[in-house]
Amino acid sequence: MKLFPRDEEMLAGRHGEPLRKAMDALVTLGRAYGAEDMVDIGYAHIHAGMAMYKDDVKLMEDLADMGARVAVPSSANIANADLVNWRQTGAPEPLVRLQQRAAGAHRRMGSACTFTCTPYWAGHWPTWNMHMVSIESTVTIFCNSVLGARSNRDGFFAVYAAMAGRYPRFGYHLDSSRRGTHLVRVETTPQSVSDFSALGFEIGRSLGGGVAVFDGFARRPTLDQLDALGAALGTSGGISMFIVPGVTPPYATVGDAFSHGVPKEAIVADAAAIRAAYERFGEGEGVFDLVHIGCPHASFEEMKTYAGWLDGKRVSDGVELWITTSRSVRNMATEAGYVAVLERAGARVISDTCPMSCHFARTASPDPALGVQPPALRGIVVDSAKQAKYVRDMVRCPALLTSTENAVESAISGRFVPRFPA
Amino acid sequence: MSAPGRPTRESFERQREGSAVSAPRTIRARGLVGGKASGPALVAREPVSFLGDVDIRSGEIVGDLSSVKGKRMGGCVLVFPGSMGSAGAWRFLYQQFVHGTHPAALIAVQLPDPSVAQGAMMAGIPVVCEPDEDVLSRIVDGEMLTVDGAAGTITVGGH
Repeated sequence: MKLFPRDEEMLAGRHGEPLRKAMDALVTLGRAYGAEDMVDIGYAHIHAGMAMYKDDVKLMEDLADMGARVAVPSSANIANADLVNWRQTGAPEPLVRLQQRAAGAHRRMGSACTFTCTPYWAGHWPTWNMHMVSIESTVTIFCNSVLGARSNRDGFFAVYAAMAGRYPRFGYHLDSSRRGTHLVRVETTPQSVSDFSALGFEIGRSLGGGVAVFDGFARRPTLDQLDALGAALGTSGGISMFIVPGVTPPYATVGDAFSHGVPKEAIVADAAAIRAAYERFGEGEGVFDLVHIGCPHASFEEMKTYAGWLDGKRVSDGVELWITTSRSVRNMATEAGYVAVLERAGARVISDTCPMSCHFARTASPDPALGVQPPALRGIVVDSAKQAKYVRDMVRCPALLTSTENAVESAISGRFVPRFPA
Repeated sequence: MSAPGRPTRESFERQREGSAVSAPRTIRARGLVGGKASGPALVAREPVSFLGDVDIRSGEIVGDLSSVKGKRMGGCVLVFPGSMGSAGAWRFLYQQFVHGTHPAALIAVQLPDPSVAQGAMMAGIPVVCEPDEDVLSRIVDGEMLTVDGAAGTITVGGH
């Protein structure tokens, strides 16, 4: 791999130990994936440091202690506890105190304490052709597919790229990877954000990987719908990018999206596919303790919609309604009066975490000294196929997938309202 | 490293009793993460999302992978079609290492996500991918494998 003089200097330790360590990791990664050289990055979405995983916060503290600083605009991914309203979630205090230490590490390193899976709603909005890194699959697919930025599905090394401002050129940083591999013919009109989530989950399952080109949406999907589609594609498949011609830069037409002609065969995205995803997460007897909306973390527009539905209503006794969003969006929604409306209705507006990421997770590995005891939950109603999969597999309780509006109705009535009537 | 829950050499040998002993053979593959390690094969037929699919503290596969559900990954050479799902894969692999429940090595048919490679690099788990033969159908559970990530080889048998 060709290294530029400054890369060589970093690797030789001439810019200090943190950058030597960072460049060493990036060179190892680049060689593994056959990168020809390194590129400058303009943005990094990096690891939070997660209190539910043993010694994981320490990974970030160790970097901050050794003097590491981010060289490009950087945001922190979702964390394991709400750092402020944690009492509303039942999180044990030692877990929260540990999670708060991660915020200290980020402040020292100069990264924004966003603690969200949707940093774009919080103002981190990379643009066309910007190389970037991301530790969150939802961020990778949104930035590749909606904004036209260039990102792989990275792990911890995203922080090394943030420190060096560099990343090896491979995968979705190359033009050749950013062309369609499969044609998806859309033969249905998804009715809601959750329908886009359901559709993405089934298409991701069918494809497994590659770059899906969606042809035939009746109208341009909204940003929230594109966000839901991508999050689900990235969950059920190893998918980093999709193309909606006319939306995804720089592809104006289906023909543009393929480098060797439009494939003759197409995968059909129809009403049955949407229905299949809801049925996949409809097990159990419809019993639930919690309703959760806001996966990925809700946008301001979604907060406005939720407030409209819940204005003057009341969450049923014995049921909790969690609305998860980033702290930045929460602040905007507070100023707009939406958070007051939601809280008056009995909803809990939670930031920095979500059900699958908080102390509910049973497959995580918190230090026993933190006293984490996941509550016994009989079921969680969700509006996101991504959250549904991880609730089932990590929280290990039934996930009931329905539309956002029906999830809210379930919280108000105390009875599960499915997407499709039985 | 020695870790709780990880199969020992003796348990490998017991597992092999009764199986026909044949000469070792070598499969070429693309080396992704360096290092050399051996263990019994655990063959997953479905793409693996480490986050969601594995319980860190036990190494048990808990996700929707019908071919290997309920089995434990610790000390095994995991053979799988490719990665999917969360970019949190690195964290699960690395945490499995912290808890001694990690696979000895990984053999992916398709080039896995950078997140998987980064977790393996942090944990010192050798990884090869794109093998020359159809490992999913030709390697069976429990067969002894040695993966050399730097050389890009898989050695079957010969222990």
